[in-house]
Amino acid sequence: MALLKQRTPPSSADELLGWFCKDQLLEEIKGDLHELYEVDLAETPKWRANLSYWYHVLHFLRPFALKSSSQNSNTVMIRSHFKFAWRNISKHKMSAVTNIVSLAVGIACFIFIFIYLKDELSYDRFHTDSERIHRIAIDFVSANGRIPDATTPPALAPALKRDFPEVETSVRLFPNWGRKFLFEVDGKKFYEEEYIRTDSTFFDVFDFKPLHGDVKTALDAPNQIVLTRSTAIKYFGDDDVVGKTMVLGPSDPLVLRVSAVVEDVPDNSHFKFDMLGRITFNDIEENWGWYNFYTYIKVFPNADMAAFEAKLQPFFEGYEDPAEYYNAIYSQRLTDIHLKSNLKWELEANGNIETVYILAGLALFVLLISCLNYLNLAVAESLKRFKEVGVRKVFGAHRKSLINQFLVETMLITIISLLLGCLFAEFLFGALQDLLGKPLTLFADENMGFLLGLAGFILLMGLLAGLYPAISISRFKTALAVKGQINRSGKSALGLRKVLLIIQFSLSAFMIFGTLTVYQQSEHIRNKDKGFSTEQVLVIENGTSIDNQAPLKTELQRLSQVNDVGVASGIIGGLNWTTGVGYPEELVMNYVVIDPGFIETLDLNLIAGRNFEEERETDRQGWNMIINETALDELGLTLDDVGKPIPLVEQNDDSVANGTIIGVVKDFHFTDFKLEIKPFAFFYRDRSLDYVSVKLNTADISETIGEIEGIWSKFTNGEPMEYFFMDQQFADIHAQENRLSKILMYLTMLAFFIAFVGMIAITRITIKDKRKEIAIRKVLGASVAGVTNLITSRFLILVIVANLVAVPVSYWLMNTWLDGFAYRTTLGLELFLVAIGSTILVATSIVGLQSVKAAVTNPVQNLRQE
Amino acid sequence: MKGSQLGEFEELVLLVTGVLFPEAYGLNIRREITEQTGRNVALGAIHSALNRLEKKGFLKSKLAEETHERGGRRKRLFWITAAGKRAMQTNHEVRNTLWNRIPELAWKGLDYGTA
Repeated sequence: MALLKQRTPPSSADELLGWFCKDQLLEEIKGDLHELYEVDLAETPKWRANLSYWYHVLHFLRPFALKSSSQNSNTVMIRSHFKFAWRNISKHKMSAVTNIVSLAVGIACFIFIFIYLKDELSYDRFHTDSERIHRIAIDFVSANGRIPDATTPPALAPALKRDFPEVETSVRLFPNWGRKFLFEVDGKKFYEEEYIRTDSTFFDVFDFKPLHGDVKTALDAPNQIVLTRSTAIKYFGDDDVVGKTMVLGPSDPLVLRVSAVVEDVPDNSHFKFDMLGRITFNDIEENWGWYNFYTYIKVFPNADMAAFEAKLQPFFEGYEDPAEYYNAIYSQRLTDIHLKSNLKWELEANGNIETVYILAGLALFVLLISCLNYLNLAVAESLKRFKEVGVRKVFGAHRKSLINQFLVETMLITIISLLLGCLFAEFLFGALQDLLGKPLTLFADENMGFLLGLAGFILLMGLLAGLYPAISISRFKTALAVKGQINRSGKSALGLRKVLLIIQFSLSAFMIFGTLTVYQQSEHIRNKDKGFSTEQVLVIENGTSIDNQAPLKTELQRLSQVNDVGVASGIIGGLNWTTGVGYPEELVMNYVVIDPGFIETLDLNLIAGRNFEEERETDRQGWNMIINETALDELGLTLDDVGKPIPLVEQNDDSVANGTIIGVVKDFHFTDFKLEIKPFAFFYRDRSLDYVSVKLNTADISETIGEIEGIWSKFTNGEPMEYFFMDQQFADIHAQENRLSKILMYLTMLAFFIAFVGMIAITRITIKDKRKEIAIRKVLGASVAGVTNLITSRFLILVIVANLVAVPVSYWLMNTWLDGFAYRTTLGLELFLVAIGSTILVATSIVGLQSVKAAVTNPVQNLRQE
Repeated sequence: MKGSQLGEFEELVLLVTGVLFPEAYGLNIRREITEQTGRNVALGAIHSALNRLEKKGFLKSKLAEETHERGGRRKRLFWITAAGKRAMQTNHEVRNTLWNRIPELAWKGLDYGTA
């Protein structure tokens, strides 16, 4: 035996040969090789013979000797599985299509939300050291509470750098604060809003991709300016414009030299700019009172932020006069600003981490619904295939190949759904770009990981969907299976189907309930009386370019399409100022300066006192003002105090100035509806103000604007009229809520579609199972109505159980969600009725229709089969 | 038609198959080539060439009777077909014609060159 073994060539090489070599060539080749081996063995040592044997075996890796793939018995089986899977899909076209479509829709929704959220979460992470960058904010704290505020005084940034060893560098941002800058290059004039003024350290903290010029020195001198690529192209027609000049005017023209051009600011930056210049105010380095700057710091790696945070408040109080206010200073991570910070005066409307959670939950939800739906249908359908399995077994199919057959079928469906889902999601990104407010795509390099993960999950789901029927059905005894008899485990599968159906109905009931709540809340907010009218109010933004506005107002008033004209220093719901008012206790008062026409233009509702009057000189002086109800309340005054001089403001020399509340207006919502109404005041001054509001009464907007522009041009020397519509401005404030509610609407429509399709499919399957039962009942004398009632009532029980589960849960969840709003709607009875009613209605109508269809068929059709 | 040409190695295999008739098969063809030319050829290359030649119609083959050698595995015996013979003849004639047409001077030049 040992002798024989010595003479045999390495068996692993033989195995390899047998694996890749064509069967019909194997005999002769192996024969030659073995003979060669014996010859070699006679002449050379064994190891050399072995080596040579391997050498020759590997040399048979040539096309002529290789097995073609079709000869592999495994591939033959897989090919046959695919063939049968395809036949099965084409045989049950209806259910295959519903399966694929509903799964694809679910996948698309998930992808859609996921990519959207991923973008939301990616804010400000493009800076190389984003983890080391923090923003410092200071909240105003007074007896009335704490007012979160993102702005800081200009002395803060230099002091931080000076006093803290952790701080590598600091930078201030000074945005336009509603101002428009008129830039001129070669006679081309544009108004610019996105002009941020900052320090020379800007590019030490932030990373914006430089295109031309050296950003390290780009803001060293006060006459330097950095442009983004599109701004450069807008002015110069080219992006390589380093060294060129532009004039900031019109009064007091300032020549600025372009020092660098950077890529456009990415969409996922919490502040955006078109141009960057230097802060050029005098004597601000020690100014701790001018809260108009944003302060960012970059700390050294491994800086202890907790320790830094603890030192911040004592540091701040060392500089600020502690008697004034107690103000709270703290730091925020740069990457938290977009989602977690919602301070007053944010540089850009921020996202909301709650929204992220809601949407993420929904995304998983929709995916879950569609997966459950698919599992449900796959299990239900497989239960009809006993006979097929039985016949396969009779023909000698192994259990393994039966399992594979099921798996191939489910995988095929899931893979098709995945592909369709990706395409559908991509389509949605294109179609809903306006709603999203930013361009997104699935097929970006950074999404590949996600795509692979999702593909893995979906395939796993396909595996799961196939595995249960594969294992449970292939276990049946052949004889029983051929007869189509369902044994005990078949009954448990039917039970499983019921459970899955109940879960599915519960989920869709919840979705309906949830969306209706969200929709109702957003309507509630939209229709809530704001306290003033924004409709058909046109606002001209650059009013200060006319020094004497009185003739302009008179001319505009003369137009028949114009109801009222008023001017103001700010925009209600957009921009206003604050000051301290109140004695002995001071409160933060929001205010704008207006003229008498403004109150009427915005339909503000005077509930006491009177409007400002042009004839009264005193209205334009001192602390004479119109306030809102909240302010009256918080100042501790009553309507009786209106019109009387009262001590209102403590001045710098500790004396107290008197003021008069001329009038009181009904409370109005000048910010987000989520926030409580704050004190608000109007002052009247006889000077040129930024914003000219014009209340129109016409549908012919474009012609009216033309006429207004005609009047405008009479009073200015060629400056373009910049304007917007106020309801648009308000829509922007609520854009977040509107966006959320719209996305939720679409989602629920899709989720409902999935649930709906699932219900139809499951009904069809059940009715097919019940055909014989219905036929026998009919033969025995049952009426169509009777049979239909029987089948429908069974379904209704399931639907009612599903509602019993879903409604309390959704009531609780939606109530919790609504608690986040200051002005919340109530969950009324009608909501329950609609949610429960619509599921029942859908269930009854579809089930009823299907049962009637089954019941009116001639019973012979269904009975003659056996 | 595919394979009307005869490659150098193929011609060699074809020649040896003729020489070894009627006992030509993979292994002894390889041995013969090694002995005659000193080229060390992999067995796979021989089988590949034989396979190709058979597809071109220059060789025919059959499996020999079972023997007790080689663990009872049959060997495949090859012989030249008429087409094979013609291809070899063509090759041979082309070569001879060309050989005869080389002028004497060419060889002389060669001598001068090396001298």
